[in-house]
Amino acid sequence: MVSINYAFKEISCKIVYYGPGLSGKTTNLQYVHKKVPQTTKGELISLATDADRTLYFDFLPINIGSVAGFTTKFQLYTVPGQIYYNATRKLVLRGVDGLVFVADSQESKMEENVESLKNLLDNLQEYGYYLSEAPMVIQYNKRDLPGAVPIDVLQKALNPEGLPHFEAVAVKGEGVFDTLKWIIKLVLEKAQTKSQTPPSGPERIVSATAAGLPESNVEVPPMAVPPPRPILEPVGVGFRVSALEATKRMVERPLIAAGIGERSAEINVPGYRKPEPVSAAQRSAETRPEIALKNRAILRPSELVKNRVESAAPKKSFFARLLSLFAKEKK
Amino acid sequence: MEEDLILYEEEIARIDKVLSRLIKGAEAKCTLLVDKDGHLITRQGFTHSLDTTALAALLAGSFASTKEIARLVGEPEFSIMFHQGKRDHIHISLVGERTILVVIFDDRTTIGMVRLYAKEVGEELALIFRDAKEKAKKSSSKPITSEFSNQAESRLDDIFKD
Repeated sequence: MVSINYAFKEISCKIVYYGPGLSGKTTNLQYVHKKVPQTTKGELISLATDADRTLYFDFLPINIGSVAGFTTKFQLYTVPGQIYYNATRKLVLRGVDGLVFVADSQESKMEENVESLKNLLDNLQEYGYYLSEAPMVIQYNKRDLPGAVPIDVLQKALNPEGLPHFEAVAVKGEGVFDTLKWIIKLVLEKAQTKSQTPPSGPERIVSATAAGLPESNVEVPPMAVPPPRPILEPVGVGFRVSALEATKRMVERPLIAAGIGERSAEINVPGYRKPEPVSAAQRSAETRPEIALKNRAILRPSELVKNRVESAAPKKSFFARLLSLFAKEKK
Repeated sequence: MEEDLILYEEEIARIDKVLSRLIKGAEAKCTLLVDKDGHLITRQGFTHSLDTTALAALLAGSFASTKEIARLVGEPEFSIMFHQGKRDHIHISLVGERTILVVIFDDRTTIGMVRLYAKEVGEELALIFRDAKEKAKKSSSKPITSEFSNQAESRLDDIFKD
């Protein structure tokens, strides 16, 4: 998840490059490290075996400097691609904000691509993440090889949902920055909608509906289309818009806050005893429509939220409870 | 999905105060506070010669793998880790649910002192984090706006050039 530190004025996001072994994840990072200005990058750290295969992760911090007063950092991680290292691969995914799936375009690697994608979804699910929450782009790497599978075949097998995809030759740097720029863009967009959604807002409900959907139990034959997964993005967009509208409306009419503020201000006045009954009644008559309006604005995006509100039963008063207790005693 | 980690100046100031006390009391060289995801939260002491960003990521990775090892041997979590070097040593302990307290010290002090102070300070820090979490839940304003994204994107175009 995005880390926001107001003391250091820092925002930090985690982006993970995922994909089968030898598909070029580390190469992506190496190219970024080679090309970005010295002031922007930190050290590229590789926890690799003697044979230069990633053992745990590669790590490259990128600092794009101050944006709107906040030093903005991206931490790029790769995972070990080999099947054998799933335990450590899963650990790297923790707290991920954006994903780049690096697929190998060679025909002989198709099975591994599908397997790795399936593994990614499994691992994400174990953390309780869904693609609607962590944005993902797909990079088809090694496009320069003679036996490269055509893009439409790859798309069919790996990207039936139409996630953003890029063709790349990571060793030469082709497509590396495009991929990175795009995922950063998605991560920021995501963080933005998140910060505009009220805490009990509709976003949680998007994931709640996703929770019940089938994901990974189906066996995937090689070269076949992966099991249909929920296309959550359009739903997300829909919610995003309505949540935005709701927020806008709240900003335009901050009447409730003003009402509450007024009340406390009145009470704080020294010597002030109690609001006169008439004015209090008037005030409640004034504010009530506003409360209703606000609720409607937030609740509109989902029925689930409404249900939650309806299910909140009115609390029994103390005396009512006492009475019922006595009644029980009598029996 | 877990909530974003949001910390305000007030909390960081409180945390820094507590960490300073730890350094003084335990005579440690420096201390870092790291989120389990590898983000550095704050640091105190002589950290200027250290690459704290990388250190934070590696420590979080190390802690994560230790946790996995714990799970495999049937422990919920190894809450303390200790690395012994020739001159410098590192004491790592879990604070609250998602934060790691790292103390780097040398032979001027003892592991016992560090452990004692780390434990004491850990409880205090856990409280501060609980407060911070509550506060973050309540506040609705966040710095990432559309203006922020636009600025960031134009910056990216400058930096990421082939």
